[in-house]
Amino acid sequence: MVNAFAYVPAIVLLPFFSFLVALGAGRYLPKGGAFGGIAATAGSFLLSVWVAATVAGGRAYDETLYYWASEGGAGIGPTDIELTFGVLIDPLSALMLVIVTLVALLVHVFSLGYMNDEGETGLPRYYAGLGLFTASMLGFVVADNLLMAFMFFELVGLCSYLLIGFHFREPGPPSAAKKAFLVTRFGDYFFLVGVVAVFATFGTAQFAGPESFPALADAALNGSGSVAWTPGGLDLGTWLTVVGLLVLGGVVGKSAQFPLHTWLPDAMEGPTPVSALIHAATMVAAGVYLVARMYGFYVLTPTTMAVIAFVGGFTALFAATMGVVKDELKQVLAYSTISQYGYMMLALGAGGYVAAVFHLTTHAFFKALLFLGAGSVIIAMHHNEDMWDMGGLKSKMPVTYYTFLAGSLALAGIFPFAGFWSKDEILYEALVHGLNDPLLLGGYLMGLLAVPVTAFYTFRMVFLTFHGEPRSDTARDPESVRWNVKGPLTVLGSLAVVTGLINMVPVQKVLGLEGIDLLHRWLDNEWGGIEGLSSHHYADIGPYSSAYLVGGEVGTVLVGAAVSLGLALLGLGLAWRLYNVPSPTEHTAKLGGIKDVLYNNYYLDELQVWLAYRTEDVAGGANTFDQGIIDGVVNGVSSVSLTGGGRIRKLQSGVVSQYAALLTFGLVALLLVLGATGGWFL
Amino acid sequence: MILEALMAAAFVGALTVFLAPDEWAGRLAFAISLIPFVGSLYLWSGFEAGGNALLGGEIAYATQIEWLEVGGRSVSWFVGLDGISLPLFVLTTFLVPLAILSAWTPVDARQSQFYGLMLFMEANLLGVFAALDFFLWFVFWEAVLVPMYFLIGIWGGPRRKYAAIKFFVYTNAASLLMFIGFMSLVFALGDSVSSFALPEIAQAIAAGDLGTWFGIPPDRVAMVAFLAMFLGFAVKVPIVPFHTWLPDAHVQAPTPASVLLAGVLLKMGTYALLRFNFTMLPEQASMLAIPIAAIAVISVIYGAMLALAQKDLKRIVAYSSVSSMGYVILGLVVFTEYGIGGATFQMVAHGLISGLMFMAVGVIYNATHTRMVGDMAGMADRMPVTVGILVAGAFGYMGLPLMAGFAGEFFIFVGSLSAPALPYAPVFTALAMFGIVIVAGYLLSAMQSTLFGPFELETDYEVGPAAFHDVAPLAVLLVAIIVLGVAPDIFFEMIRDAAVPVVEGVTIDG
Repeated sequence: MVNAFAYVPAIVLLPFFSFLVALGAGRYLPKGGAFGGIAATAGSFLLSVWVAATVAGGRAYDETLYYWASEGGAGIGPTDIELTFGVLIDPLSALMLVIVTLVALLVHVFSLGYMNDEGETGLPRYYAGLGLFTASMLGFVVADNLLMAFMFFELVGLCSYLLIGFHFREPGPPSAAKKAFLVTRFGDYFFLVGVVAVFATFGTAQFAGPESFPALADAALNGSGSVAWTPGGLDLGTWLTVVGLLVLGGVVGKSAQFPLHTWLPDAMEGPTPVSALIHAATMVAAGVYLVARMYGFYVLTPTTMAVIAFVGGFTALFAATMGVVKDELKQVLAYSTISQYGYMMLALGAGGYVAAVFHLTTHAFFKALLFLGAGSVIIAMHHNEDMWDMGGLKSKMPVTYYTFLAGSLALAGIFPFAGFWSKDEILYEALVHGLNDPLLLGGYLMGLLAVPVTAFYTFRMVFLTFHGEPRSDTARDPESVRWNVKGPLTVLGSLAVVTGLINMVPVQKVLGLEGIDLLHRWLDNEWGGIEGLSSHHYADIGPYSSAYLVGGEVGTVLVGAAVSLGLALLGLGLAWRLYNVPSPTEHTAKLGGIKDVLYNNYYLDELQVWLAYRTEDVAGGANTFDQGIIDGVVNGVSSVSLTGGGRIRKLQSGVVSQYAALLTFGLVALLLVLGATGGWFL
Repeated sequence: MILEALMAAAFVGALTVFLAPDEWAGRLAFAISLIPFVGSLYLWSGFEAGGNALLGGEIAYATQIEWLEVGGRSVSWFVGLDGISLPLFVLTTFLVPLAILSAWTPVDARQSQFYGLMLFMEANLLGVFAALDFFLWFVFWEAVLVPMYFLIGIWGGPRRKYAAIKFFVYTNAASLLMFIGFMSLVFALGDSVSSFALPEIAQAIAAGDLGTWFGIPPDRVAMVAFLAMFLGFAVKVPIVPFHTWLPDAHVQAPTPASVLLAGVLLKMGTYALLRFNFTMLPEQASMLAIPIAAIAVISVIYGAMLALAQKDLKRIVAYSSVSSMGYVILGLVVFTEYGIGGATFQMVAHGLISGLMFMAVGVIYNATHTRMVGDMAGMADRMPVTVGILVAGAFGYMGLPLMAGFAGEFFIFVGSLSAPALPYAPVFTALAMFGIVIVAGYLLSAMQSTLFGPFELETDYEVGPAAFHDVAPLAVLLVAIIVLGVAPDIFFEMIRDAAVPVVEGVTIDG
């Protein structure tokens, strides 16, 4: 039988080849290499589906494929380590493969409409970037160890730099690209220290198996094993918490969590399909995926879990508030992304492993949908993104409107769209675990508060864009879009409606139906998987216990869902009242000074710019010190030793041939002396 | 005799080119420089790792011929390679042809002399990495300075004479210090060694043969020798605070000289530190581990901060070399397989990457006649391929995975965090690693303001794409950097083999 797992490297390599082809021959190819990219991602998608089907058939795969360095191991002090590349296919990575390749494929198709049809230049570079981006993300997804994950994580960062800065002839995009790479690099610094620390502590960075670092950490904490190294004086639990937080630095950077979220709204400078890819399935998803990938490690340290939950809950609320006042379509979506990944982090920190993966899945579809829908609107509006210039697009672009509406309902968490189910499960997990844990409860409350805010800004966006009267000439006569735009929208629109079906936990609990919590069973290795990488295992070794409100489990499910749905409808209703009118006005102005704070993102960007300038000041000071003091001493010493500057000037004014003569003389003299003492001439 | 043949090819080539007419000196020099390169590939393909040349390992391609006698000890023509020197030998033969190509456009005066000096320098550089006798090594070591001095002094920028003299005097004074340091070791060994062969001396010291010298106890002699040699090599590397000759030399040097200066000459310093200080006197090295690691960290951070403050592209790359060499020192002082192996690997990786950066900046300079940030913007519009490769190289410098720089840096970091030989190793490592953020800061900022945005440059001529022979060496270097980053074991394996005996030289308490 042909083994699907043997083709996993091809999933990664196909988009990589499309990168090479587009880069090398894109200008000679039709559509600037787009078809190569489409074919490659389509191939990767089909292979991914095959791989997922194989996992559903009860198999999994964990194999080292390449020794990057030191086959057989080399010493780092406490232990010998090998640095390898390998593939880990379990339910989690198989699911992620399907999501990433599907979104990448749709983004490629959409790009035909957004880039080619709009007459953009530099298309080979664009498709090369998309290909490399997809390949890097896929390499990250299948990575079987933390080092390999880090390496592809960094390559994802490079690709985001290249694509955000795609329009390099304008001043804005290169600046945004720099910011994206630099801010995430700052997070990756901690991640890299964490990777090195994992190697030092465990001698391995494998994710899966009895010799993996999560398993070794578990054993060491149980007392049934030990680690190779901890830094002097630190007890094991503290050290593992530190390591977990270090790796989390990279997650906070890439998944745009507070306080490293500032790069993401700027990243809207990139072409819109790239935004869809970054936000839905690649870069931003990478952070959350990493936590899920090494969840068996994180659940061992309660402090790290609490930090993750709190940062996530805070980010969810914090980013949502900023989304309320933005004027540009993509800006609203950018803040919604930050906020939604905050929910996923909240879920992970709250022990809701499945809930987080569920939301990662639904969000991938509805956020890709919303960005592509925004791209469609932007085409129609001749690249004007200001919502105050839109209005009334509903009747002129029905496909975009209805799919965008589906995505918005999902984002706002309205029953029965996909986002409702996943967000509800996150809040449920945070609630039942948080009733015993005040910090977690704080995260839950922030996540809950963010629900009406999310619904409000989402529908403010929908109403301003599609409803009411057109507020500009372009809105009155928008450009039409073609199949290559409508096709991907339709696919994603359907997914935004139905993806919730993969995990009907509340229905199961309330009605007592068995077996409709497919995602739970999938991630619990019910079909196939790897020992130690299952949701049950994580729950067993995790720090949380459940508590319920009145009415036990069913009651809590119902109350939780009712509260969050009620709040979402409240936000939606407010948006309806304020903005679903023929000629809406800027009600946000009523917020007064708060609006300025929100509009300026709590002045966090200013803070980071200020920090950057202070760093430059320090650098300038160092430079003055270097030139004045250190080099001054050097020159001073040399002028003293050559008895005054006069002689130096005389030396320096001499002709070079004099030095030549001097040097040659010196060498000859040396050889003569050596020859004489060594008896050469005798 | 292959080693000798390759060195002789460079040397005879130098003389030939020197006498050749200017018109085809460049092409002739390039053709000749391919001989050592092809030869070194042959050496590489036939190389079988066999430990450390200084510590009793098998020496590949060795020749040892008695030459003369100084002070009762024999000096011999003693050359050979091991897993540490072979990669650097190959690096040199690889970079020289590319550096010669990069000279075709900018060098338009006294070509035959220029290319002759380049080849003469190559011959000596190869000698430095191949020599296993102290005197022979020292002759090559000093002789390298001569062509570099002339390359800067004749073909350099406006302040070339100041820079050339500073370079020459500074590094020469350092050589003197180092010479004295090493000689005191030899004398303290007394009759236990009969030659200046480095393996014999290293093994004698390891065997505990250091004796009292003029009433100074052996420990004291070893420590003084260590410090003298360390200071001597520190200038060459260069380590803060002995680095100020470097930016001056780089800024004034013509591009091809910068390429070899950053690519190979700096590695002479770290190579010598490894061979002399860390291989011969490991006990002293681990006694001084904390101050050395502190200097390494300071070099990384301080060098990066200085690079951040610069406005001249070449100065930025020059200071970043100080930063990168700090990583190498950290890798050496931790005495682990990954640390010392990574340091050696980083020498090669940095040689390629800094060579690429200097070359690319040079290609842009050929077109713009300025290197100042602020004088130009949006160069990507006019020189897309050059800029593309420069961006790739810059990411290599930032330690992008699957490029050579990441491998070197990661080996060093993973080798140093938990190193038993260095107290507070986690602190030093974590501090040094922060360099990867600063390097991204200054390189990205410099690229943003010069390469991207709307095109701006005041010229009275059209700025267009660079010639093929300007871009080709950049592309070749980039490919080499990626190959080494994807498959670092092609060098790292032999490096490790030669590094293990060095690591074993340190005994760790507890």
